[in-house]
Amino acid sequence: MEKDGSLLDDYILSLLEAPRPRICFLPTASGDADHYVVRFYRRFSPACEASHVSLFRRDQGIGGVEDDLAAHLLAQDLIYVGGGNMVSMLGAWRAHGLDSILRRAWRRGIVMCGPSAGSLCWFAEALSAFHGAPRAVRGLSLLPYSNCVHYDAEPARREEYHRAVADGMTAGFAVEDGVGLHFRGTKLERVVSSRPGGRAFLVRQSSGRISEARLDAEYLGAAPAGRPADGPPAREQVAA
Amino acid sequence: MSAAAPVPLEQRTIFAMGGGGFTMEPANPLLDDYVLSLAGAKEPRILFLGTASGDTTPQINAFKARFGGRTCVAEHLSLFRPSETGIPLAELLPEQDILYVGGGSMRNMLAIWRAHELDALLVGAWERGTVLAGLSAGAMCWFRWGVTRSSGPPEPIEGLGLLEGSLSVHADGEPERLPVWLSHLRDGTLPGGWALDDGVGLLFRGRTLDRVVSSRPGAEAQRVDAIAGELLRRRIEPDLLGSRATDPLGGRDEAVEELRRVHRLRRGDGRRG
Repeated sequence: MEKDGSLLDDYILSLLEAPRPRICFLPTASGDADHYVVRFYRRFSPACEASHVSLFRRDQGIGGVEDDLAAHLLAQDLIYVGGGNMVSMLGAWRAHGLDSILRRAWRRGIVMCGPSAGSLCWFAEALSAFHGAPRAVRGLSLLPYSNCVHYDAEPARREEYHRAVADGMTAGFAVEDGVGLHFRGTKLERVVSSRPGGRAFLVRQSSGRISEARLDAEYLGAAPAGRPADGPPAREQVAA
Repeated sequence: MSAAAPVPLEQRTIFAMGGGGFTMEPANPLLDDYVLSLAGAKEPRILFLGTASGDTTPQINAFKARFGGRTCVAEHLSLFRPSETGIPLAELLPEQDILYVGGGSMRNMLAIWRAHELDALLVGAWERGTVLAGLSAGAMCWFRWGVTRSSGPPEPIEGLGLLEGSLSVHADGEPERLPVWLSHLRDGTLPGGWALDDGVGLLFRGRTLDRVVSSRPGAEAQRVDAIAGELLRRRIEPDLLGSRATDPLGGRDEAVEELRRVHRLRRGDGRRG
C-alpha cells in the first residue's frame, strides 16, 4: 500500500493459500487516518475479504468491526498493520487488549505484516524517532531482535541505530524503504524488495564493535522466479 | 510563557466543557474566546492535543480556523505524525499557556498519553499554572472518573484525577450516556459529580468549582450526588457568555475589537500573506 509498494503487497498475498483471503487492516498508528483506510480498501478489496479495525471510532458503529475484536482478528488470513507512530499504536492496542490478541493470531499461523511502525511492532525492540531524539522502544517481541526502518531515508538513522545497538539494544535488522523481511517463526527466511538495489542489514555487536552485514534482497520486479510458482490467481487481479 | 515553578493550588486552572468549542460550534466562538481569556498572557501560546480523535485533519483544521486569526500563538501536537519542529514533548509543553484537549476516544487518548509519558507532563503543566482546557474526553480526563463510549456502549473510565468526583458530558446531545452515569452514581461505583450539556463549561481554580459558563441559552449543568442510594440532583444555571448581564467579557468592547483587528492584520502581513 505504500508508494511503489504494490510488488510487496503482491508478495504478501502470495503467502496466503485461501482463494479469497480474509485481510484485516489496523490503521492505529496513523490515528485511523481516513485516506489510509480508503487506500487499503482500494488496494485489497478487489481480491480479498477486506476489513479494518478502528480503535478511534468504536462508538460510531460504522465502518470496521464493532463487536468482538478477538473473534474477528483470529478469523483472518492476514493482519496488515499500517505505518505511523509505533508508541501511540502500542499504547492504544494495550488499552483494547489488541496486543495479546495479535500474539494469539501469530501463534495460530495468521500472517502478520506491515510497513514502518507495522514492521517495528513485531520485534523486541525498535528505534522510534518521533518528537525529538530517536529512542529504543519495546515492541510485541514476537521476533527476538531489534528493527530499524527507513534506513536509507533518514541520513542520521544508521548512526543512531549503530549507537543504540552499541548501547545494548538487541541485535537486529536495518531495512531500507521498499524492502521486506519475511520470517517463518523467528527465522528470517527471505528478504524481498520492491526496488532494484533495496538493502537490508543485520546489525550486531560483538566484543564492543558494531558489525553491519548486508543481506541478499531479492528484487520482486525482476522475474516471476521470486514468487512461488503456484501462487494464487488473486495476485494478478490485485495488481491490475 | 508559563513560569517553571509550581503555583499555589488556587492558581491552577482547568476548564472542562461538556461539548462545544471549535470542533462542535464552528459558528460560535464564545467558549474558545473564554478559554483564551483564562491565560494571563496578552498573546497566549495555545497547543491543541487531538489525541482522542487520532489527530484527525478536520479537527486540526478547525483549530487553526478558530485560533489562527486570534490574539494567540496556536499550534497543535500530533502523536501520530512526525513532529514538524522536532521539539521534545518535555520542552514543548512547558512553553504553553493553554493546553486544549479535543474529544474522541478517552481510552485511546489516556493510553497513548501514558505511552508517551505525556500524562506526567500534563500534571506538571497544571501545577505550573498552565490552563488545561478541553471538551468531552478532553474534559473528563482531568477528573477522577468519566463515562466513555471508547469501546461502544457508555462505561466508567478512570481519568487523571486532578479533580475529584466524576464528569459526564453531552448530557443533552447523547441521551444514552447520562443514564449510565446516574446508575453508577446510585450504586456507588462512581463518585458524585457533574453532568454537562453541550456548550457548558466548568471553571476550576485548584480543585474548587469557580464558575459555570455556557455558549448557548438554555444549556445546563447539574451536580448529582448519591445519598443513601438516592440521587440528589441540583441544576446549575450557567452564566451565558457574550451577554452583558453575566459575562465580564461580554458585549462588544471597541478597544478589544480594534486590538484584534490589528493583530489579524499584522499576522496577515507577516505570516499568512
